[in-house]
Amino acid sequence: MNLGPLNRLTQRSVTQDVVITHEDVDRAHDRVRVSAARAQRGAFSKFRLLWLLVGPGILVMLGENDGPSMISYAATGARFGIGFFIPFVILTFCMAIVVQEMTMRLGSATHRGHAELIFDRFGPFWGWFSMIDLGIGNFLTLITEFIAIRAGLGFFGVPPWAAVGSALVFLCAAVAMHRYWTWERTLLAIAIFNLIFVPVALLTHPNWHSVGHALVTWRPLPGFSQDTLIIILADIGATVTPWMLFFQQSATVDKGLTTKDIHLGRFDTTLGAALASIAAVATIIATAPLFAHHMTAENFQGAEFAQALQPLIGRFGAALFALGIVEAGMVASVTISISSAYAFGEVARRPHSLNLPVMQGKSFYSVLFLLAATAGAIVLIPGLPLVYVVLLVNVVAVLAMPPALVFLFMLANDREVMGDLVSPLWANFLATCVVVFLTVAGILFGISVIAPKAFAILGGK
Amino acid sequence: MTPKDKVRETITTSDQELVLASLEPEQLAGLKKHLIPRRHLKGPEKFVMWSLRIYLLFMMVVVVYQVLTSLH
Repeated sequence: MNLGPLNRLTQRSVTQDVVITHEDVDRAHDRVRVSAARAQRGAFSKFRLLWLLVGPGILVMLGENDGPSMISYAATGARFGIGFFIPFVILTFCMAIVVQEMTMRLGSATHRGHAELIFDRFGPFWGWFSMIDLGIGNFLTLITEFIAIRAGLGFFGVPPWAAVGSALVFLCAAVAMHRYWTWERTLLAIAIFNLIFVPVALLTHPNWHSVGHALVTWRPLPGFSQDTLIIILADIGATVTPWMLFFQQSATVDKGLTTKDIHLGRFDTTLGAALASIAAVATIIATAPLFAHHMTAENFQGAEFAQALQPLIGRFGAALFALGIVEAGMVASVTISISSAYAFGEVARRPHSLNLPVMQGKSFYSVLFLLAATAGAIVLIPGLPLVYVVLLVNVVAVLAMPPALVFLFMLANDREVMGDLVSPLWANFLATCVVVFLTVAGILFGISVIAPKAFAILGGK
Repeated sequence: MTPKDKVRETITTSDQELVLASLEPEQLAGLKKHLIPRRHLKGPEKFVMWSLRIYLLFMMVVVVYQVLTSLH
């Protein structure tokens, strides 16, 4: 594999001056296991290699099926039923694969986080723009995760302060292992519970003929209105957001993936997208009966969806739905906090790894916890329009994506850094389509807000 | 004793050998402090980046306007 000239600069500079850290030792142990599995033949060894290398892709996709995303999917099912949005959501996950594959490739080839690469290659001027976008987006999204946790646990009668407190305890417990591998496996085990929406969907006895018809024909189509546009933007924002770019690249680096692992990294990303899209479609199907029963769901937060579904699927099904919302919020609160801490460490040139002991990673763990604690505290403010914040956050995420994607696009095509691993033509074409699609969706939203008459001329209501 | 010395003290020689044998040089945390040289941005690249930056700022104003109108 021919890497870019800038990547090879450091290869000749391994000297006695380089301090080997605990972070390096832990990562080396992980790589020894990968090398051992790769050296052996047989189906079991191949499966073991796969098991050792999957993680960042599944976590980023299931992490993005977060509290506001599941609420957006639930709102989609309740407002539009089974139809256009089922294949549309699958399309958004295909977009996510195109985008996230680039971050995995960048991380494996450069061993640098996304924020670090932007700062180094484009300079602090563009770097800070990128960091401000990420910081605002991550903080707003974190608030919505705590809203989801509060709403989900509220179904079981847990008071808001206890819900927020338990989420913070969960966050501390998740990173307390000081070992990337243990953290990743633990969070994967919890994240897989995102599929809890599948049994909930089955409990609604869906009309599979309608589901199949929607998948093939994309019909029935929703009316073209500002409400539809907001749901479309919210569903896109539920699948592709800036924090995912930063998280997967940094997690790929922290896990220690190399260019030899890119093939399985792609599998990891695609598997994550497949699992997440199953959960997303299941959520739409689960709340579709609310549409059929003409129940309004405009101000539902998660727990209200569970309560509304209870007469149709019973207490057990409703409890599963509420638990799913809690799990989505809990997992995402961890991944988004870590994404922010990685980016901070990369920009501030401070140690940033989940392999770090607390004393060596004080700034990393402090940023992670303080951000989450502040977001949790905001959710406890009485009278905050929580539902509005949830929808707004997904819309803001979509609007912030095109500038973030251009940085990613330029880095993935930077031959001086990537060498032979630059994006192929088909990947560039798909990535350009994603940028154009997101920009057009954002512009349409802008027109619908500031010039409703012009929006009506375009066919909107 | 400096922090670097403390780290050195707790890492054994076999650990060091393991790290140097299993990790690629750029994977070492200590080497990541070396900056990757700045890229020279061309005119069209700057144009796209500025356009999208203006787009984002404008859309944020739209979102704030949408929030204010909805709250009233």
